[in-house]
Amino acid sequence: MAIAAANPTYRLPARRRTELGLIVLAVMLTGGLYMLASLGKAGSLPANIGPFLGIICALLLVAHLGMRKLAPYADPILLPTAALLNGVGYVFIARLDHHLAGLQALWTAIGIGAFLLTLFLVRHARDLERYRYIFALLGIGLLLMPLLPVVGTNINGARLWIRLGGVTFQPGELAKIALAIFFASYMVERGELLAKGTLRIGRFMVLDPKYIAPVLVAWGLSLMIFLFENDLGSSFLFFALFIGMLWVSTGRHAYLGLGAVLFTVGATFALKVIGHAQSRIHSWLNPWTLYDTPGGGYQTIQGWFAMAAGGVFGDGPGRGSPQRIPAAATDFIFAAISEELGLLGGAAILAAYMLMVGTGLRIAVRCERDFEKLLATGLSLILAVQTFVIIGGVTRLIPLTGVTLPFISYGGSSLIANYILLALLLRISNDSATPVAAAATDMTVLS
Amino acid sequence: MPDSLLTALKLIFLGLLYLFFFRVIRAVWVELREPKGVQVAVVPPAAPPRSASANPNPNPNLRPAWAGGSSGPERLVLLEPAEQYGQMFELGEELTVGRASGCGVALPDDTFVSTLHARVFRRDGSLYVEDLGSTNGTFINDRQVTGTVPLQRGDRLQIGKTVLELAR
Repeated sequence: MAIAAANPTYRLPARRRTELGLIVLAVMLTGGLYMLASLGKAGSLPANIGPFLGIICALLLVAHLGMRKLAPYADPILLPTAALLNGVGYVFIARLDHHLAGLQALWTAIGIGAFLLTLFLVRHARDLERYRYIFALLGIGLLLMPLLPVVGTNINGARLWIRLGGVTFQPGELAKIALAIFFASYMVERGELLAKGTLRIGRFMVLDPKYIAPVLVAWGLSLMIFLFENDLGSSFLFFALFIGMLWVSTGRHAYLGLGAVLFTVGATFALKVIGHAQSRIHSWLNPWTLYDTPGGGYQTIQGWFAMAAGGVFGDGPGRGSPQRIPAAATDFIFAAISEELGLLGGAAILAAYMLMVGTGLRIAVRCERDFEKLLATGLSLILAVQTFVIIGGVTRLIPLTGVTLPFISYGGSSLIANYILLALLLRISNDSATPVAAAATDMTVLS
Repeated sequence: MPDSLLTALKLIFLGLLYLFFFRVIRAVWVELREPKGVQVAVVPPAAPPRSASANPNPNPNLRPAWAGGSSGPERLVLLEPAEQYGQMFELGEELTVGRASGCGVALPDDTFVSTLHARVFRRDGSLYVEDLGSTNGTFINDRQVTGTVPLQRGDRLQIGKTVLELAR
């Protein structure tokens, strides 16, 4: 069966050209915004504009060349959009806090390293399927790590960090991805059993508990861990991921109902038991009366003032006063961006997330195999729910819970985890878009 | 620097920001309009006819005879081990082979088979076999394959100690 051609030449996939064009635009936008912020704030161009542009060009060029080599057929818009969000976030962090900006630059470089390493190590998304229980253990282990006595650290009342040397890290960010992989592979194998009742009780066919037990155990355990660590945002994110993936894998709306019930039970329980949750709800419902109470509505209302000051077109980069918002570089960065770029800038950020999530779901629709389909859905869900939780919290649509705004907020673990998530989505995209003829060339026939 | 200039620059920035999204949406639109999504043009390799059949513009003459107009789906028939001889597996869009119970062809008793060993799938009407990183390899007509290989009627697919034949 002589098939392998000596040296097939491919025309450069058009997708990579599109990507390069968009990356150039993203670099220009980031550089322009950086200069504008400095002009607005100090009245002069930033001193380090040369090195700044050099570094982002170098980082994105490396990422782009890595894509050409490792995932040439993957989707073209995810990387530039993420790069733009990362760049805009960096400019605002730099504008708020020089020290954090230096760290964020380092985290970005590590994030892009992690992105390329993921693409390099995971040659096919389906390879992840066979390590399902390793990923389940990894996910739960990462979630448990902050509870360990020596390395675990409390910050702002939530026990989410580990401290190694001088560096703090939030392992829960990576746990989400590991658990999404586990859920995808488990639900695909048991999909039919989860979709159809196999146990007869009276007139009804109900689910045999033994098929759903491991997932329920994983869910309960992780929920408990999150509650012990006092992180309600991630707890909700995790729960929504679980229910969403279950719904998508089975196509049964009943799971959404079950999810709503379980969520209500969990929320009621959390309200009764956890003071942290209670105060969050109170300051959500009555931010004005709790304006002066510590941990009350002060932060939310400062965010509002900022967004209101921005109006439609914004105060202009560097010309607002977002430093008045507590945690402006992390949880409340959306308010800071809306202050200086206005409704139009805020809407652009939302549009970027919608495009990324939409692209993730489009990748899922294109997949041939259920595992990749479900994994792409799960990864998109992580991105969507996390964005919703924090922007909803900042705009007071839902109670505020501190999660990071993907790619924008300051935070090393979040940035690295999101770049890994991006790499997995692109790997899945590359798998489903690779023409068979191209796949056949890496084939060797031994006789 | 005068305020009006800064405001003008800000508006230019916002305009460019939306230009970015316009270009992103155009990139998506171009792909959606294409009939088969992102079929990447492949310059056909010099001679070998078989891999040319996987070209996005397939030459009908190079297609296996059963690919078009065949009646009924193809099947994999189990030849070895003898105890399970004659077992049939119908080929839909995809059939996975492995020791896991969730596989389309589940071979729980063959210890030489990996949990998820290989898959047989259809693309553009033709069947292909792909080894999924198995420990002991996948063989077509006693030749080991890695990557994706076309499967034709009469081909024998050996996985572990199990032999399957593509019949119709």
